[in-house]
Amino acid sequence: MDVKRKAIFTLARVVAVLLLSTVLILLSGADPIRALQAFLSGIFGSAHGFTEVFVRATPLIFLGLGVAITFRTGFFNLGAEGQLYMGALASTAVVLLLPASWGSLRLPIALVSAFLAGGIWVLFPAWMKSRLGISETVNTIMFNYIAIMLVGICIRTFLQEPGSTLPQTAIIPEDCILPLLLYPTRFHAGTILSLVAAVLAWFFLCRTTTGFEMQMVGMNKRAALCTGLSVPKSLLLSAVIGGGLAGLAGFNEVFGVQHRLLEGVSGGNGYTAILVALLALNHPLRVVLMSVGLAALQVGAATMQRTLGIPNSIVSIIIGFIVLMILCGSLPEILEENHPILRKRKENIRHVE
Amino acid sequence: MHGIVKDFPGLRAVDHVDLQVEEGEIHALLGENGAGKTTLMNILYGLYRADEGQIFWKDEPVDVSCPSEAIRLGIGMVHQHFMLVRKMTALENILLGMRPEGYPIIRRQEQLQQADILCQKYGLKVNLRQRVDTLSVGEQQRVEILKALFRDAKVLVLDEPTSVLTPQETQEFFQILRVLRDEGHSIILIAHNLSEILSISDRVSVLRDGKKVCTIKTSSTNERELSRYMIGRDFLASNFYREATDQSREILRFQNISLHNSEGVSLLRDVCLCVHSGEILGIAGIDGNGQTELAEVLMGIRRQSGGDILLDGQSLGRWSVRRRWEAGLAYIPADRHQDGLIMDADVKDNTALRTYYQPPLSRTHILQPSQMRDQAAALTEDYQVKTPSVATQVRLLSGGNQQKLILARELQSKGNLLVACQPTRGLDIGAAEYLHTRLMDRRNQGRSVLLISTDLGEILALSDRIAVICSGKIMGVVPNTPDLSAELLGLMMGGSTLEEAKGWM
Amino acid sequence: MWNEIWNLAFFTAFFSASVRLAVPLAYAALGEMVSQKAGILNIGLEANMLSGAFMGFAVTYWTGSLLLGFLAGMTTGACFSLLHAFFSIYLRQNQNVIGTALNLFVLGLTSYLFQVIVNQASGAYPQVDILPTIPIPLLTNLPLVGDALFNKDIITYLLYILIVALVWFLNRTMWGLSLVSIGENPRAADTVGLPVFRIKYLAALFNGLMGGLGGAYLVLGQLGVFSENVTSGRGYIALSLVVFGRRKPVGICLAALFMGAANALQFRMQALGVDMPVQMFTGLPYVLTVIVLIISAVKRTDADPAALGKPYVRTMR
Repeated sequence: MDVKRKAIFTLARVVAVLLLSTVLILLSGADPIRALQAFLSGIFGSAHGFTEVFVRATPLIFLGLGVAITFRTGFFNLGAEGQLYMGALASTAVVLLLPASWGSLRLPIALVSAFLAGGIWVLFPAWMKSRLGISETVNTIMFNYIAIMLVGICIRTFLQEPGSTLPQTAIIPEDCILPLLLYPTRFHAGTILSLVAAVLAWFFLCRTTTGFEMQMVGMNKRAALCTGLSVPKSLLLSAVIGGGLAGLAGFNEVFGVQHRLLEGVSGGNGYTAILVALLALNHPLRVVLMSVGLAALQVGAATMQRTLGIPNSIVSIIIGFIVLMILCGSLPEILEENHPILRKRKENIRHVE
Repeated sequence: MHGIVKDFPGLRAVDHVDLQVEEGEIHALLGENGAGKTTLMNILYGLYRADEGQIFWKDEPVDVSCPSEAIRLGIGMVHQHFMLVRKMTALENILLGMRPEGYPIIRRQEQLQQADILCQKYGLKVNLRQRVDTLSVGEQQRVEILKALFRDAKVLVLDEPTSVLTPQETQEFFQILRVLRDEGHSIILIAHNLSEILSISDRVSVLRDGKKVCTIKTSSTNERELSRYMIGRDFLASNFYREATDQSREILRFQNISLHNSEGVSLLRDVCLCVHSGEILGIAGIDGNGQTELAEVLMGIRRQSGGDILLDGQSLGRWSVRRRWEAGLAYIPADRHQDGLIMDADVKDNTALRTYYQPPLSRTHILQPSQMRDQAAALTEDYQVKTPSVATQVRLLSGGNQQKLILARELQSKGNLLVACQPTRGLDIGAAEYLHTRLMDRRNQGRSVLLISTDLGEILALSDRIAVICSGKIMGVVPNTPDLSAELLGLMMGGSTLEEAKGWM
Repeated sequence: MWNEIWNLAFFTAFFSASVRLAVPLAYAALGEMVSQKAGILNIGLEANMLSGAFMGFAVTYWTGSLLLGFLAGMTTGACFSLLHAFFSIYLRQNQNVIGTALNLFVLGLTSYLFQVIVNQASGAYPQVDILPTIPIPLLTNLPLVGDALFNKDIITYLLYILIVALVWFLNRTMWGLSLVSIGENPRAADTVGLPVFRIKYLAALFNGLMGGLGGAYLVLGQLGVFSENVTSGRGYIALSLVVFGRRKPVGICLAALFMGAANALQFRMQALGVDMPVQMFTGLPYVLTVIVLIISAVKRTDADPAALGKPYVRTMR
């Protein structure tokens, strides 16, 4: 397909997304111009709004990185949600169960245990895939629900806040929470951690021999095998690192935002992260960009809802729609393949020129 | 079939072929790889569409646009790779896609009886109630034949049916074919085993390079003649510069290598071979006779079921692929898209695949991108790989340049042995010549090349000695002297041992 | 406390609730089973159910007709399933990504449209009458199971018929044979002249209809109201039931019943104020699903359809 056609096709898809957004805003009885104003002022109008973008982007960055790294080796990890829960559970448990005398030393321990918990959690389905050939699709989803169940049990038993009947843990000790950096906004050190993680992930994936192996295995297992790369090693390692990063998202939510472990700590971000990774073409630095973009959409839409009553669910509609539009990308080629007439006509045109 | 033409991109697979099959005959279709046998039959069965030509059925022109049309006419085909649903029973596989009596309800009992009648009539022994994945290969083949017969096939196309069978099974199978013929069925048998063709067929058509060479009565021909028709050309004496090299040292030795697949079918039988320093050992044979398997066992991609391989007198045992590379084995795989290259990665990454973990491409596990680029640039220049840049996706390169890229990567090896499988398949003449020169240079340096190819011309032009493989067995090894006849090789490729072949010459 | 549990009334109510909770799951899972047998793994089951729930509710709310509501719900579910099929069969995209995107899209869309309806309803929370129960004479009076199985609504009874029909369809008809062959070896099916793509689309259509029906039933047969994300992950549960029930109609229904029982037990225990983490019951089916996966992988029988999730590309002509 020539460049011109490609550009037109891309433009058409962008227009479709904008058109849909406008229609949705109009349908809810609001003026699109005012909606746009509200949207922008929500993001850029206040320090709170602007920092909120990053607060919301942070778990998506961790999760998106985790998913992207596993996708890169061809392991289709739909289990980021569960890995987040396990990370949150392990880090909370460590901090609450270790003696208070350990003080803020407990924070780095919690971080490490979140990483390990997420990594170990994905190791089960990864091992089942590489050893038994079990497809990871349904399996990772099952592990999501099992993780949610475990959290549900724990916060009703030994981790339950003493004296409370609600399913939640006690508040994390003051000296263990991630420091707020721009008080009174919710902007906290977790965001910095996520950016560091993104740079490290990029470096690991694109600049180390192990990352190189993972990428090659992901693109063609058979050729990797034939040139002497270890396929199972890459698969398991990428799964563990990806799971660990998703676990850190759980750590981030508990220690940076909610300061205690509740049910529904993820809010479905584990699934959104799959789309983030897709939009970012599994590139770590682009994951940051896409996460911030999605978070900005959410924050702006929240303001539109507050001021104009436009349901903020339009964010989900638009993200879903954008992904569908991207998946349409193969349409022109397949059309040409199935209808040779289209191709021939094009050749004729070129001939005339 | 009259005047059939089929073009694939850049290749005329079938070139104005006429083929006439009579009622009640076994018609063998003989030819080397790429002669167009299977393509022709796929056109007959409606899987491909011919670009030119017409198919006649009982003198009527017909348009076979899809398999169901072929089935309706009474054409059945047994593919080389069986088209069976492994998790269903034999009976269910036979019924699949049909509209038997009572449709859409399956009347198992009635159908079973009908199928049983067919089984008995033709002497096909199959347990129809069993799941296909529990049946032996021979039984699966009988299910495929039953499938065609159940659809009232009058013409039965069999693509390389004996390649998966043991000699005993082959004899049983031929018995079935004879019964079928006597019942008035016509059989088109795609084959390359000369003695089998002579023993079973009534007439033979030979294809070569997409064209039909001749159709002759089997009773009026012999192995030698068929072999000549199949190979058909006189090969020019190679004009490569051949240095006298020291060939006294033994580099590689296969010791009784055997290999079975998961279903217990023998892919390699007791292979014994050795490669000397400073020589090109060619392995000739029709595709699918164990060549790829032999190379993969050598490279550590597959594990042999028995036997051992010695490199410079040292047993390779269960060494990993990487360790074998480090020990000096370089490999040009037959399937360059799947096995040789990572098509979605760029030129730089592909050239680094073998060496990325060593200095200078990486230091303490950290990649050195500038070194990788420099090395890729140097290699692409040395080996005349035409690419816009080293960051270009390999998918976008031409076949010749892709192959040169593999060559460039593999010849970084400091070792003594290069295994080259089908190195010039599908390449244009320029690229092929370049590759041949490089292989010859390697030999002239005193190193060795194991050249596995189905292109006899290539083998004859390059090799010092030639081994012929058939059904996973080495039929014999002969020195490549000017008086070596292609017919002799053809006989061995068709399943005769060296002694037998010499006897017929 | 245990006295309250070990009595007939408790079990009667418990069984009844189990069946009630199982019905929407069973519909969706049976649809997905057919789809998977044709090689399409649709994670967007949640989208089918949720869209069906919403459209079923909306149409019934506007027209007052339950029949139209169910039809609308099924049609909408079918639309999204066919969309998934189009993206996976024709555009050959990754089925998991399509499903995930559709789930998010439909979650947003239904929430949004529902908000629009609520805004128009000006205050009163929209509500519909649910399906009436039709007790079947005599059978209702059976102890324990009578109330659970035969004092239900028409959709539940239709499920019984559907199960029988599916068993018959898969084991006794050529159509069932064709369906299975598409998921196992589409090339083989192609060479015997079966219309591979048409069968795949038909399977997807059935999946959407059943998912939509399950979703609509949840709202029109049980809740009477719609709320944001009313299906709350039931699509994923149904997905696990397909594996847990080993892709067999009866197996899936037993799995659904087990899931329903686990949920019902959780609600009962909570109502009784039992002091134990009841999540154990709802999580158990997932653990069992993983175990089923391992067992079938080790035994190498009844594993996934061989071509599950892979796009089928015809060779060039």
